[in-house]
Amino acid sequence: MTRTLMEGSEAIATAAVAAGCRFFAGYPMTPFTEVLENFGKRLPAVGGVCINAESEIEAIGMTWGALATGARAATGSTGQGLALMQESLSEITRAELPLVVFHMARGQGDYYQATRGGGHGDYRHIVYAPIDVREAVELTELAFDRADHWRNPVQIYGDYLLAHTSEGVEFTADPFVPVAKDWAVDGSLGGSGRSRNINPIGMQKGSKSIDPESFWKRLQVKHDQIEASEARFESESTEDAELLVVAFGSVARFVRHVVRELRSEGRKVGYARPISLWPFPAEALAAAARGTQRVAVLEQNAGQMIDDVRLSVLGSVPVVGIGGISSDSAGFGMGPLLDTRVIRGRIESALENLEVST
Amino acid sequence: MSSDRLDVLDTHGRPTRVSTRVGEFEPKLLLDGEHDLCPGCGEPVAIRLLLEVIEELGYAQDSIGVIGIGCYTAFTGLIDVDLIQALHGRAPSVATGAKRMRPDKLLFTLQGDGDMVNEGLQEVIHTAARGESVTCVLLNNGVFGETGGHMTATTALGQRTKTSLEGRDADYHGYPIPIAELLVPLGGVSYVARGSVADAKSVVRTKAMLRKAFEAQIAGEGFSLVEILTMCPTGWFIPTADGPGYLDEVLGEVHAAGELVVGGKPVGKGASG
Amino acid sequence: MEREVMLTGIGGQSVQLAAQILARASLLEGRHAMFLGTYGGTMRGGNTDSTVIIGDAPIVSPPIVSSTWSAMVMHHQFWQPLREKLRPDSIVVVNSTLFENSFATADSATDSTAPEDVPRIFEVPATQIATDLGNALGASLVLLGAFASLTRLVGLDALLQAMRDSIPSYRRQHVGANETALERGFESLPPNGAPAWPTAGVAQ
Ligand SMILES: Cc1ncc(C[n+]2csc(CCOP(=O)(O)OP(=O)(O)O)c2C)c(N)n1
Ligand code: SF4
Ligand SMILES: [Mg+2]
Repeated sequence: MTRTLMEGSEAIATAAVAAGCRFFAGYPMTPFTEVLENFGKRLPAVGGVCINAESEIEAIGMTWGALATGARAATGSTGQGLALMQESLSEITRAELPLVVFHMARGQGDYYQATRGGGHGDYRHIVYAPIDVREAVELTELAFDRADHWRNPVQIYGDYLLAHTSEGVEFTADPFVPVAKDWAVDGSLGGSGRSRNINPIGMQKGSKSIDPESFWKRLQVKHDQIEASEARFESESTEDAELLVVAFGSVARFVRHVVRELRSEGRKVGYARPISLWPFPAEALAAAARGTQRVAVLEQNAGQMIDDVRLSVLGSVPVVGIGGISSDSAGFGMGPLLDTRVIRGRIESALENLEVST
Repeated sequence: MSSDRLDVLDTHGRPTRVSTRVGEFEPKLLLDGEHDLCPGCGEPVAIRLLLEVIEELGYAQDSIGVIGIGCYTAFTGLIDVDLIQALHGRAPSVATGAKRMRPDKLLFTLQGDGDMVNEGLQEVIHTAARGESVTCVLLNNGVFGETGGHMTATTALGQRTKTSLEGRDADYHGYPIPIAELLVPLGGVSYVARGSVADAKSVVRTKAMLRKAFEAQIAGEGFSLVEILTMCPTGWFIPTADGPGYLDEVLGEVHAAGELVVGGKPVGKGASG
Repeated sequence: MEREVMLTGIGGQSVQLAAQILARASLLEGRHAMFLGTYGGTMRGGNTDSTVIIGDAPIVSPPIVSSTWSAMVMHHQFWQPLREKLRPDSIVVVNSTLFENSFATADSATDSTAPEDVPRIFEVPATQIATDLGNALGASLVLLGAFASLTRLVGLDALLQAMRDSIPSYRRQHVGANETALERGFESLPPNGAPAWPTAGVAQ
């Protein structure tokens, strides 16, 4: 199979359509805009629909309606637009709809938003953070699959670099076979006494009252199962590492590069990357950190994922933040930290501090 | 309103009108005719009409409803039609997504004035302007009934609510929005009408409006809206039996009943009814 | 092995098109490629830069590099950031019709004790050649052709095919002129003067 040169946004839309996505609605905002544009180019050709919604709130509402009919459907935005969508994001989780969200963030400052959510109540979304365009293609296919499997939203957390870098990509996934969804509304059960109800408040047909407690507890059981089974993780050179550097998404690509460079020079440094930000791969990370003297978290924000890293190693090894806020003049997150020389400097000084303190 | 109005029907004198049975009170598309809405509430009457029309058009097994959030939400568990429960204000976009994926189904929303004209005003306007082939049904009682009788964007001038205790004052609270009139100039609109459930005649007329709106959708003519003025004696803080009179005198003054757009063409100012 | 090519110019010089053609041509030859374009706010006149990375295995380098194996310079106006990423042995192909600047770094220009770090520079009057061909906008393709001839990073056939694949349908009428631009560029620098790959042949 030949590799086709595609920008990340185009590759994502192509992978989504190949995975059977037939509906997309979004509202333009850099660096997400091209994802919307590419769905707009691709969906009509396969009989699907892409709507340039009048707002992010309407975009997610439309996607909600499409999902309820059983279609594979997606929306997306940047952190700002997702902030507007929060009420729907949490309620769609309760309506148990398999939403896929393409979040092209302006840097990594939306880690909390993606993993904790700004919406109300107890809800969880699977979040994948691809390191490059090729992985984004794989994770997009996986996102639709896992969303349907769990009937739960899945978010792809990318950024400017992911959306705008072009790479040669291959599409090897098996052709999409529509998934049977007996819960989806098609109108057919009206008048039968068994009509369907896609309901985020746990309201059952034939009943005037709701039972939030047992409804929410049932969702919690599901989220516990997801947490126990869906974590994804990558690591390198951890065996004899004295320092373990943890990073996610595009930034991890720089970190992995620098760690390989330092390794080839004989430095005892390892690399670890949560591929899923939720569920956070706590066990795998704790295992990778075992035997190291320090864990350094390099993220492009004021320190967010570091909380999850600390919760993973539970005090067994000191955890320090060596990243930080970094942006270009437009605020798109293309800051000076995205430079292997700068990152090498940060990792080297973490190694030196290690020597000083031991 | 007369000041000597009684809370119960006065049976001392002769009846002023002949009593007639208006119809069957439990439409087939209802799982349970008993509901928890207040006595004298107009919403169940409007919902009954809606379900009867769907049944009569032969669309019982080809309809998808999207329900907003207000007192009528209690019916989400009772209506025997495939339903999607939406968030407050968001039903029109949810209906849009569903219709685009199932273009051969009858798609309707059921929303209140708080839901449609306050929280989700832009949703209904955009959906109408897109000419989306869905029918939005608005139950307009001029208050947030569910939260206990607060002012909405359709509350009439002078109307007392919990957040306009001295009556809605234009200088302080601004003016009511006549949503049906607002949609008239939009290109994608095929049918717009305002009815009411204040009396038997209005009920019959309103049912005909719902039928026309759905027929417009079935014919693929574009967006349709039926606004239905409904009594909310609880949220209006008046005796139950005063509901219909209050509806006509207060809400009906601002939101006149009648057809506004038929076959995609404005038909002038709605006739009083 | 990975080879970095950085391109710089001003908006309207078709720098992104040249980068895209280079990356696409590498894929046609069975290699792996990645590129990232960055632009100033406006369509014309702002900075436009691009980084292309080509390798014989999936690219592991991040799309923003801190030093580059080679560069194509269409204009001097925004070239300083690129200049700082050149190594002493970097190969630089310059549009000599427009380039008016020194190759010295900020350091070596002000500090007489700085080591001589001028990379290997190859000048091509790309804008002049393109103007003579009646296709002034094709200058970046002339430079790309010259670069390909010099480095053999990609072959001419792949470049021509990649160019045809990269032109949107509404610009089809430019295909012929662009072919000529690539071919004339290819003739304007000595073949294989600075080879990119250790052995001739195509990676799998
Ligand atoms: C985002 C949001 N804000 C506020 C509410 C609270 N709320 C529930 S029902 C309602 C008012 C409903 O008014 P209307 O749509 O007119 O229906 P009615 O109760 O009058 O039938 C409000 C404000 C909510 N559910 N969601
Ligand atoms: S509060 Fe008003 S709208 Fe709600 S049920 Fe009671 S009467 Fe009906
Ligand atoms: Mg109301």
